[in-house]
Amino acid sequence: MNIIVCVKQIPDPETPAASFKVDEAAKKVIPAQGIAPVVNPYDPQATEAALRLKEADGGGKVTVISLGPDSARDAIKHALAMGADEGVLLNDPAFGDIDNFQTANALAKAIEKLGGADLVLMGRASADWDMGVVPTGVGQALNVPVVTVAKAIEKGGAGLKVERVLDDGFQSVEVALPAVVSVSNEFGEPRYPQLRQIMMAAKKTVQVWGAADLGLGADEVGAANRAMPLEALYVPKVESNVEIIEGDTPEEKAAVLAQKLRAAKLV
Amino acid sequence: MARDYAADILDPLARDVVNNVGVWVEKEVRPNASEFEHADAFPEPLLKGMSDMGLFGIKIPEQYGGLDLTFECYAGVCMELARGWMSLAGIINTHVLVGYAINEYGTAEQKQYYLPKLVEPEMRCALSITEPDAGSDAQAIKTTARRDGDDYIINGQKMWVTNGHRAGVYLVMTKTDPAAQPRHKGITAFLVPHDTPGFVKGKKFDKLGYKGVETTELSFEDARVPASAVLGGSEGSGFQHIMSALEVGRINVAARGVGVAQAAFDDAIRYAQKREAFGKPIFEHQAQQLRLAEMATKIRAARLLTFDAARKKDAGERSDLDAGMAKLFSTEIAQEVVLDSMRIHGGVAYGKELPLERYYRDAPLMIIAEGTSDIQKIVIARSLVRDYPV
Ligand SMILES: Cc1cc2nc3c(=O)[nH]c(=O)nc-3n(C[C@H](O)[C@H](O)[C@H](O)COP(=O)(O)OP(=O)(O)OC[C@H]3O[C@@H](n4cnc5c(N)ncnc54)[C@H](O)[C@@H]3O)c2cc1C
Ligand SMILES: Cc1cc2nc3c(=O)[nH]c(=O)nc-3n(C[C@H](O)[C@H](O)[C@H](O)COP(=O)(O)OP(=O)(O)OC[C@H]3O[C@@H](n4cnc5c(N)ncnc54)[C@H](O)[C@@H]3O)c2cc1C
Repeated sequence: MNIIVCVKQIPDPETPAASFKVDEAAKKVIPAQGIAPVVNPYDPQATEAALRLKEADGGGKVTVISLGPDSARDAIKHALAMGADEGVLLNDPAFGDIDNFQTANALAKAIEKLGGADLVLMGRASADWDMGVVPTGVGQALNVPVVTVAKAIEKGGAGLKVERVLDDGFQSVEVALPAVVSVSNEFGEPRYPQLRQIMMAAKKTVQVWGAADLGLGADEVGAANRAMPLEALYVPKVESNVEIIEGDTPEEKAAVLAQKLRAAKLV
Repeated sequence: MARDYAADILDPLARDVVNNVGVWVEKEVRPNASEFEHADAFPEPLLKGMSDMGLFGIKIPEQYGGLDLTFECYAGVCMELARGWMSLAGIINTHVLVGYAINEYGTAEQKQYYLPKLVEPEMRCALSITEPDAGSDAQAIKTTARRDGDDYIINGQKMWVTNGHRAGVYLVMTKTDPAAQPRHKGITAFLVPHDTPGFVKGKKFDKLGYKGVETTELSFEDARVPASAVLGGSEGSGFQHIMSALEVGRINVAARGVGVAQAAFDDAIRYAQKREAFGKPIFEHQAQQLRLAEMATKIRAARLLTFDAARKKDAGERSDLDAGMAKLFSTEIAQEVVLDSMRIHGGVAYGKELPLERYYRDAPLMIIAEGTSDIQKIVIARSLVRDYPV
């Protein structure tokens, strides 16, 4: 099976709140000083899924794509160190201010340029903006089915059997290939890179493609062409209050609490 | 939060390796180490993780299936392992050191037989020099090996052998000529397989720290090994071979000091910003700022000394002076930094909930094993006069 995994580099989600700052005028997150970006935590799970499918198949190829700045090579290198075969970085100044739809479109163009894939795997969402729409966007751009939030994937049925995570349970579906599947944390722990794989990954060259290489014109990428313009970006102020419920007995306190919750229309 | 686990490492590949080990330590070792340690339980799952990553083959040449990474990389890996739990860097120490001795000084057959096995988890190594009456003065050992036809018969008592019960092969220092002068000319090192008849594994020491890994007595009661078990094949070079391998051990212990000190510092600098006394975070009291600044400076200096010694060894230069300085300094500051971290933590430092008490019990080992601080100073002084002939 020919599998493509899309991975993303994001600001460290564990950045302490005090170090997280946005430039409200520029509508941008200011990179925190001294805190290196990391691989989006869901993405190694997508890579893990790809590697397990390849291993179960006894062959095939896993290619990683990342759209991002030069430092996103580290995200690619991590997937290569886990065992992926090849990497492509989509890097262009024009990609600096794009929205999810443009990202999905650029990824789809890269997938086509690679000759397509039997399966495209992605994380269920990226932990920075946490929207989870890029997998669907890639599926739409490639005109193939999309299955989101997978916790288990195996070959079989119409092509793949996928178990999805729902709010209140699981759902088993079959999907024909080619398809896009987004992988959730319930999939299981990704493997740690072996030192030998890290050494091999260091020797691999990562191809770099810009907008022009993907056939994307100036009217298709960039802030001016966002389908979803960003209106404002700010850190919300969280206010919290503590109220001690008075009462002589636990029952009395519970009754007072229930009345207050009802009054606040919380129950 | 991801910090740079590979600080001060120059080689990009070594950085990648050390960063990956750092992530593993953060996720797998730090949350579990104290539980294994308090139970003095051998950390089987952590050893499996180390083995899966390929750490046991880190210094074995590629032709034998190893990774042949640099000493700089090895030092960085040991710092990270020790940042999680000093014992893990200890388990790998005698293994890497004996593998190094076999690769540098072993016969072709010894390399062919042992090195591929050392890459796989099937065989780990121990080093046995110390005896009841000989430690720092290793040339005073009393264990003998007497030639008997095509074999040697080994007799004697050994003490403080790390990996003493679980190793597959033991590099054992013996005297083949107890009357030799100078004494080291009578010393021969043997590669003794664990199942050699007459080789008896004795009691495990109950230690202050450095738990999980067993340190034991060994005894040799007419233990018979073939002449092919002599490291390098000829008598009388054992002392030189083992002293050379101990340089690798000193880099390992220096790195352990850095790792333990770093762990204690990381906890201290975070705690100092959260804990308040007299109306402000204790970090805002200048006394604590001065303390933390000194701790960080000592760790950085120890780190740089250790990498410097490792890089000299990578370059094939003589590194006894540098490894001695790194080992001396790193292990001494590790104790100081751990105690300073306890001062900063106040009363909670004295409880067993925090890993600090473990660092406090682990730190003193490093100023003793692999040559005491006094012995390091003697090694350093001897190298210095060599460099200043008059
Ligand atoms: C947990 C642990 C694990 C160990 N693992 C191993 C192992 O795997 N293999 C192994 O062979 N050994 C091992 N050892 C032994 C260790 O290497 C020795 O304990 C160490 O070398 C010191 O020797 P000693 O204990 O005999 O002390 P001694 O040599 O008796 O030293 C006592 C004191 O005298 C000082 N001293 C000695 N000579 C001089 C001198 N010339 N000038 C000034 N001061 C001097 C020392 O610095 C020290 O302060 C281990 C020890 C421990 C505690
Ligand atoms: C085994 C044990 C038994 C104990 N028994 C008792 C007991 O019987 N009764 C009891 O009441 N308490 C007891 N204690 C508590 C003990 O007295 C406190 O732990 C100690 O006073 C330190 O307070 P703390 O732990 O809150 O540390 P903190 O006050 O939080 O101090 C943390 C660090 O901040 C530093 N610091 C604080 N203020 C300043 C400043 N202004 N300038 C510079 N540095 C500052 C401290 O020196 C320390 O390094 C016990 C503690 C232990 C460990």
